[in-house]
Amino acid sequence: MLTSTQGWAIFHGSILTVEIALVAVFFGVILGIIVALGRISKNKIANALSWFYVWFFRGTPLLLQLFMVYFAVPIIYLNVTGSTLVIDPMLCAFVTFSLNSTAYMAEIIRAAIESIPEGQMEAAKALGMSYHQAMRKIIIPQTFKRLVAPLGNELIMLLKDTSLVSTIALFDVLRTVKTMASSTGNWVYYLYAAAIYLFLTTVLQVIFDKLEKRFGAYEKR
Amino acid sequence: MAIDQPKNKDAVDTMVEVRNITKYFGDLKVLKGIDFKVKRGEVVCIIGPSGSGKSTMLRCLNQLERITDGEIYIEGELMDQRKNDKTINHIDADRLQQLRCDLGMVFQNFNLFPHLNVIENVTVAPITVLKANKEKITKRGLELLDMVGLKDRAYEYPVRLSGGQQQRVAIARALAMNPKIMLFDEPTSALDPELVGDVLATMRQLADDGMTMIIVTHEIGFAREVADRVIFMDDGVICEEGTPDEVINHPKEERTRSFLKKIL
Repeated sequence: MLTSTQGWAIFHGSILTVEIALVAVFFGVILGIIVALGRISKNKIANALSWFYVWFFRGTPLLLQLFMVYFAVPIIYLNVTGSTLVIDPMLCAFVTFSLNSTAYMAEIIRAAIESIPEGQMEAAKALGMSYHQAMRKIIIPQTFKRLVAPLGNELIMLLKDTSLVSTIALFDVLRTVKTMASSTGNWVYYLYAAAIYLFLTTVLQVIFDKLEKRFGAYEKR
Repeated sequence: MAIDQPKNKDAVDTMVEVRNITKYFGDLKVLKGIDFKVKRGEVVCIIGPSGSGKSTMLRCLNQLERITDGEIYIEGELMDQRKNDKTINHIDADRLQQLRCDLGMVFQNFNLFPHLNVIENVTVAPITVLKANKEKITKRGLELLDMVGLKDRAYEYPVRLSGGQQQRVAIARALAMNPKIMLFDEPTSALDPELVGDVLATMRQLADDGMTMIIVTHEIGFAREVADRVIFMDDGVICEEGTPDEVINHPKEERTRSFLKKIL
């Protein structure tokens, strides 16, 4: 069985895992809305920038992005300024995962916005609303229901992907159990990690099922 | 709020004036030079076969579609003047917004906002655009819903209403912006036959109250009864216009006659 030290270590690892996922999904949604609006914007510059953003962050491995922020940025900083830069690995994980999830969220949000019938924007405009007002009051609120399922999916993926942070000196739940398993030669620690991941993803699934039902209320008779 | 005073009596009486409008969708010329005027309190029904440009014409008035060439005046004031898809005369953005608010619109597919309940559908635009006081506008919204006979459904979501009820909510929603002119784009075409009557009754009541109305419709009976003037459009032009009796009962043009024969 686990000693209390081991138990706490696994607990802290799990907290770290959840923390990164939550921070990433929070910023991912906010920045994702902005990038999504850029993607559907008629403004060519906004359009090109957001296209490039999604193209880059979806098209390269998350692990590579993590390395670039954690290893490459300090070197670039050193070359440019001549002084050293120490990045807190936790901050690095927050930034990278947020940037990465922004790209995915942007595509999810863009698809949701584009799935709202055109008549909704027309009705809002005919009532005198500006594009901005129509987006804020009419279009974006209607995407919430359509966002719930893909958002839950994305959050679950993100939660599992956080295991990549073990490469930048962070002890998430997976790295914690791996250390224990290799120092004791006991494989059962991996089962603990699996149980924790399953527990977390199940909680997410239940929450998102509930949200989906709730947001769906106005579309049911 | 700057309100320009109309310059003369004629301008006061002409609510909408359209001069030589054309509209292209790509290479397709949908409107081929349209002129007409609508007087204050006048009810104008536009009839014609599908694809004749009726709806496009209506949508050009409140700039859901932008005209390719021509001019549009609201109460004698220039709202849009374009040539070759370019705006010639730029109207102050705030003023343009107000002019657009003067035009209420009712769509074929109602386009109610499904995430808002009925009263919120009616009040969202006045609150957002006109910064109306929420309590006051809710009270006014309930009056409007009462007028269309749906006050008891104020706190339900649109999905729980029949098509006819949804369309009446859409009328109340447009009226909540205090428009001077109401545009109806085939308001009964998406309705089951037994639901058409209630919507037409609401529109008749509006007409009786003196609202200026432009109605694209296939309801020839309604046009005959309620319209002051009927415009028959075909192939992007106004073919014939006049009183309902002239256009519907005694059409002069062959195209009008053959169209009426098909649908009556």
